[in-house]
Amino acid sequence: MDFTWKIGGEAGFGIMTTGVVFSKIATRSGYHIFDYVEYPSLIRGGHNAYEVHVSGQEISHLKPEIDILICLNKETFEKHKHRLTSSSLVVFDQDEFKIEDDFKKVNVPFKKILSDLKGLPVMKNTIALGVSIGLLGGDINELLKIVEEQFAKKGETVINFNRQFVQAGSDEIKKNYSDLILNYLIKKSAEQKLVMTGNDAFSLGSVIADCRVYSAYPMTPSSSVLTNLAAWQEEVGLVTRHAEDEISVINTAIGASYAGVRSAVGTSGGGFALMVESISFAGITEIPIVVFIAQRPGPATGMPTWTEQGDLLFTVFSGHGEFQKIVLAPGDNEEMIELTAKAYNLADIYQLPVIVMSDMYLSESHKSVSKKFVDDFITSYKVNRGKLVKNPSFAEASEGKQNSKLQVKSQNFLRYKITEDGISERLIPGTPGYFYQANSYEHVEDGHTTEEAQPRVDQVDKRTRKWVTYLSHDFAMPKVYGDLEKSEIVFVSWGSNKGTVLQAQKLLSKKGTFSAFIHFNHIYPLDKEKVTALLNQNKRYILVENNSWGQFGKLLMMETGVEIKEKFLKYDGRPITAEEIVHKVIKFIKS
Amino acid sequence: MSTIQDFSGYNPTWCPGCGDWGIGVAIKQALIQLNLNPSSVAAVFGIGCSGNMNDFLNAYVIHSLHGRAIPNAIGIKIANHQMPVLAIVGDGDCYGEGGNHLIHACRGNHDITVIVHDNGVYGLTTGQVSPTAQKGFKSKSTPNGILETPINPLALTLTSGATFVAQGFAGDVLHIISMIKAGIEHKGFSIINILQPCVTFNKINTYQYYLQRAYKLDANYKKDDFKIAVQKSLEMNEEKFPLGIIYQVEKPSFTDQLPQLKEQTLVNKKRFIDFDKLTKLFT
Repeated sequence: MDFTWKIGGEAGFGIMTTGVVFSKIATRSGYHIFDYVEYPSLIRGGHNAYEVHVSGQEISHLKPEIDILICLNKETFEKHKHRLTSSSLVVFDQDEFKIEDDFKKVNVPFKKILSDLKGLPVMKNTIALGVSIGLLGGDINELLKIVEEQFAKKGETVINFNRQFVQAGSDEIKKNYSDLILNYLIKKSAEQKLVMTGNDAFSLGSVIADCRVYSAYPMTPSSSVLTNLAAWQEEVGLVTRHAEDEISVINTAIGASYAGVRSAVGTSGGGFALMVESISFAGITEIPIVVFIAQRPGPATGMPTWTEQGDLLFTVFSGHGEFQKIVLAPGDNEEMIELTAKAYNLADIYQLPVIVMSDMYLSESHKSVSKKFVDDFITSYKVNRGKLVKNPSFAEASEGKQNSKLQVKSQNFLRYKITEDGISERLIPGTPGYFYQANSYEHVEDGHTTEEAQPRVDQVDKRTRKWVTYLSHDFAMPKVYGDLEKSEIVFVSWGSNKGTVLQAQKLLSKKGTFSAFIHFNHIYPLDKEKVTALLNQNKRYILVENNSWGQFGKLLMMETGVEIKEKFLKYDGRPITAEEIVHKVIKFIKS
Repeated sequence: MSTIQDFSGYNPTWCPGCGDWGIGVAIKQALIQLNLNPSSVAAVFGIGCSGNMNDFLNAYVIHSLHGRAIPNAIGIKIANHQMPVLAIVGDGDCYGEGGNHLIHACRGNHDITVIVHDNGVYGLTTGQVSPTAQKGFKSKSTPNGILETPINPLALTLTSGATFVAQGFAGDVLHIISMIKAGIEHKGFSIINILQPCVTFNKINTYQYYLQRAYKLDANYKKDDFKIAVQKSLEMNEEKFPLGIIYQVEKPSFTDQLPQLKEQTLVNKKRFIDFDKLTKLFT
């Protein structure tokens, strides 16, 4: 069982909420989902669409054909009819517009039902959900339960009022279209799943990692992290600050992190551009910080509500001067939870900025995630604050009288002590008996400013050693999917393209072409030797990226000297599909 | 009790006669008189001659970027609202590069104390005009005189929601000490604008200039009246400089209004572990 349901209508009339409800019904009925939203950068008047790919198996890709298209307006039909087949069901209201006869037509009198029951325009969606569950043979009680949850605060009358529209939609199918019922959503028992977006996964991962300050300025497609954490803050005991601009955002987080709490910020490319000055600041002061970037197509304002991976090189090389940072790019929600939580540990262990990269496609698409996976991860996760100490290790060795009540003299803590692994002890400000400064100027071991040559070299070398330590302790090599030895075709990609390339591999193997896939989620720095060994074999490597420059390919070339010449690059603001990759590969093979 | 020595780091490198000397001593004295010590206070410095005090003051310090001290200070306060937090900044730093941060820190009534060294010039970059320079002031960056009118720091912060606005003069250290102490003790956002002659690059706003134009507020001055305070602040536009607490009212600070900080500071609270409360939102 594998189908795509899609709903479209005018922006501002509840399409998004309806899509999430459909995804939840599908997962509560025992199925896996992956969904995708299309919306313009405005609140009213544009076209919104929401598609849900439902499957008996775990998925994280979109499907080319639409099996059920719910058209709340004519535009929905016009925009998406090229993805319909002769067996697709098209739901529409004949009183509002007509459509061609090439598909299975399901005429639902939305307008009449609304006027009979005195409903608001937004309740068209509720009817559509009733119609959908009816057509798919799903359990209407699941839908009625969700309606109840949605309106629980508004009381019985509102719940019952909304339920009528579900019933009316469902009755319409039973009465007139029982011959078209597909029985795709027959309820089955399955493990419990969570319906979450990449942004939800980052939010949850942050709480798991004990993030206590999250600061942000709203920017699509990162904003829902701020709204999630703002909604949870009292329960969880974290503080969100919606500051005046992204410069303030990152500096608030840096201040909080200095004071000893795990802190993060989130934004998209343009907002990150404003933060960059302070990425460098966190670099030299060695203050841990987690930065979440949900990319969208630039440059400048670009296409705010669409997707691209165009900020990779900007992110990797962000910040003036030479300093250390770590860049991660999860491939799906599960990786997002794991790598987000890991990012906070890495930031603390290595005392540097750790950047978690997403994009609109990963950030705003829901994917069902096994609840057991999340619960197990929560149980296994350990907060590792690295060398954050209550009392400095040298305190006992020295005279040790600092804390005595008789003598309150404080001493200068060696915050930037030269160490073999490059990491120095960090002390929470307020610890009695000590003081120190985190200095944006180059500094000596105790934090005081220096312009002398040798201390400068010592500190640069110390900071550089943090990367060496990271590469040997915490860097993870890319995962290889498929048989690298036996495959002639090897895909190389990173971040959110994971599910799509995996699906392309499946489609290709059905055609008799076997491939391997090297998927990077630890993006920078890279272990040059090990990565080079993966890339310089006698294979046909194909780079897959959602940008026009092949930015990750350039980064690999810079780091390893290996150039991947064959590329599949897409940069129209839309996510890559498996079919597009397959098409390209077949062309490569023929050439 | 701490001593000046406890708070003293490196020897200052300010020019002889610079107003920063007086401000530096006043800050240390205020901290001592409030019974604080280098371990119990946090300070964030901007970049400029004033920012160089980072090396001369012993405390838990961030020497921040130009203009960014205020949001750093806000972050520290959110993480540990029981710690006194100072932002020690310059006029270019705070009214120019970081102007937006200042406005919004006032609005948020963040419980930090901003101490501004206001000398009308950028000393560290050799004397270009700052946002508080009088119109027509000639400098290397404005050889024909600055075209803009000066920022009025008192009026700006008052109308942005600051709950404590004061002004001092670097030539009167005892008065500044009392202003800084009152600012730190004030619960909510406090700013002390300190008129400070730059003896090297500002030949207009000298000690003599301020001695002639600055005056202390009367003992019966009503500091909790917003309209009177705004009127007072506007005297700055006529080059008259009131010294003292121009305005002070009690309002809940940013951290006061966060229920999650009622019991404990953020840095000292226990880790949240009741994850089912979150995962159930996604079923």
